[in-house]
Amino acid sequence: MRVFVRLLSTVLALALAAAGALLALEVAWHWWRPAGAPLLLPWPGWRDTLGGLAWDSPPLRVAAIVTGGAGLVLLLAAGAARRREVPLREPAAGVRVTTSPRALARLVGQHVRAQDNVTGATVTAGSRKVRVRATSTLEAEQQLRPRLTESVTALLDDVPLVRRPTVSVVVDSPKDRR
Amino acid sequence: MTKPSTISAKALARSYRTERTLTTVTGLLAVAIAAVVLVAGAGWLGEFRARRPVLDPLVLDWLGGLPPWLARGGAIAAGVLLAVLGLWWLARSLRPERRPDLELDHTDGRTLTVTASALAGAVRADAEGVAGVVKARVRSVGDAAEPALRLRLWLREGSDLRQVWHELDTRVLARARDTLGVAVLPAAVRFELGSAQRRRVR
Repeated sequence: MRVFVRLLSTVLALALAAAGALLALEVAWHWWRPAGAPLLLPWPGWRDTLGGLAWDSPPLRVAAIVTGGAGLVLLLAAGAARRREVPLREPAAGVRVTTSPRALARLVGQHVRAQDNVTGATVTAGSRKVRVRATSTLEAEQQLRPRLTESVTALLDDVPLVRRPTVSVVVDSPKDRR
Repeated sequence: MTKPSTISAKALARSYRTERTLTTVTGLLAVAIAAVVLVAGAGWLGEFRARRPVLDPLVLDWLGGLPPWLARGGAIAAGVLLAVLGLWWLARSLRPERRPDLELDHTDGRTLTVTASALAGAVRADAEGVAGVVKARVRSVGDAAEPALRLRLWLREGSDLRQVWHELDTRVLARARDTLGVAVLPAAVRFELGSAQRRRVR
C-alpha cells in the first residue's frame, strides 16, 4: 500500500503541476492576445459545454459520482499506508528495534502448532492484539483454550516487546459439536 | 542537536507523511466537490439553482464586472502557485532516500570520512556473524548532520529473539561505535522472524 500511495502521490503531483502551468499559460495568453486564444487547450469549447449543462443533468451527476469514488479510493489508500511494525524494547539509547506483524504471527503460530493436541492454527498479530485460531480433534475448547492462552502469553513475555499485546484464543474442535 | 532516539525513530523507515497528507487532502477535495455537485443537482440548494447551467451567466457577469487585472492576475497567480506546489511535491515523491557518508573528523586541514557503503558493508558482515541471523541488510539514512543506520535482519526459524536482540547491541553496534569512535550511533533495526526456507509437505 505504501508503494501504491507513493505512486499515486507522484501522479497527483504531476497532474497538479500540469494543471497549474496550463491555467497560468492559457489565462496569460488570452490576456495578451485575445484573438489568438486558445493556445493549447480547447477551453472555449469546454466553456460552451458547461454553459449548456444544468446542475441536475445526468452527465454531471455521473461525473460527480466518479469523482467522489476516486476521492474515496485516495482516502482509503492514504489511510491504509500507515506503518504496522511492532515495536520492541530499545537495547540501548538511540537504537530502535521493530519487527513485522507477520513475523510475530509466524513466531506465535509455530509455538501454537507445536503444542499437544493442536492440529492447526492461524494467527493474526499486531502491536496491540494477537488472535489465535486453533483447531484440535482431541481436546475441547474448555480445556485447550486456557492452556494455549497461558503458553502464548508466556511466549510473548519472552519477546522484548514494548507492550504486551492482549491474547485471544479461539479453539475449533469437533468435540464441542456433540 | 536532535536526541539520538528521535533520529533513530526517523531512521525506521522512509517518512510518507507528506505524501499521505497530500493524497488525503486531494481525496477529501474530490469527495467534497462531488458532494456539492450532487447536493446542488438534487435541488437542496433550491430548484432554481438545480436548473441553472454549471457555468452560470450570473457568475460570469460578476467575474466580468471585476477589474480585469484582478480576475486574470488572480488566475495566473493561482496557476503559478499550483504549478510550483506540484513540482515541489513531484520532486519530493521521486527523490530517493539519501545515504549519507559519516564524517568523523572535520577540523581544518584534514577530513576523515567513512563512506556509506563501507560503513554498511562492515556492519552487515558483523550482523551476519551473530548466531541465528540468516541475512542482513544495512544502509545509512538521514542527512550528513544526523546520520543513522538502518538494519534489516532475517532470523533463522527457531532462533532466540531475545539473544539476538541482546547481541545486536553488545556486539554489532558496540563494535561499530568503537571502530568509529563515536559515543552514540543512532540505529533502527527491523527483525524478520522465522524466514527459513519454505518446507513443502507432499
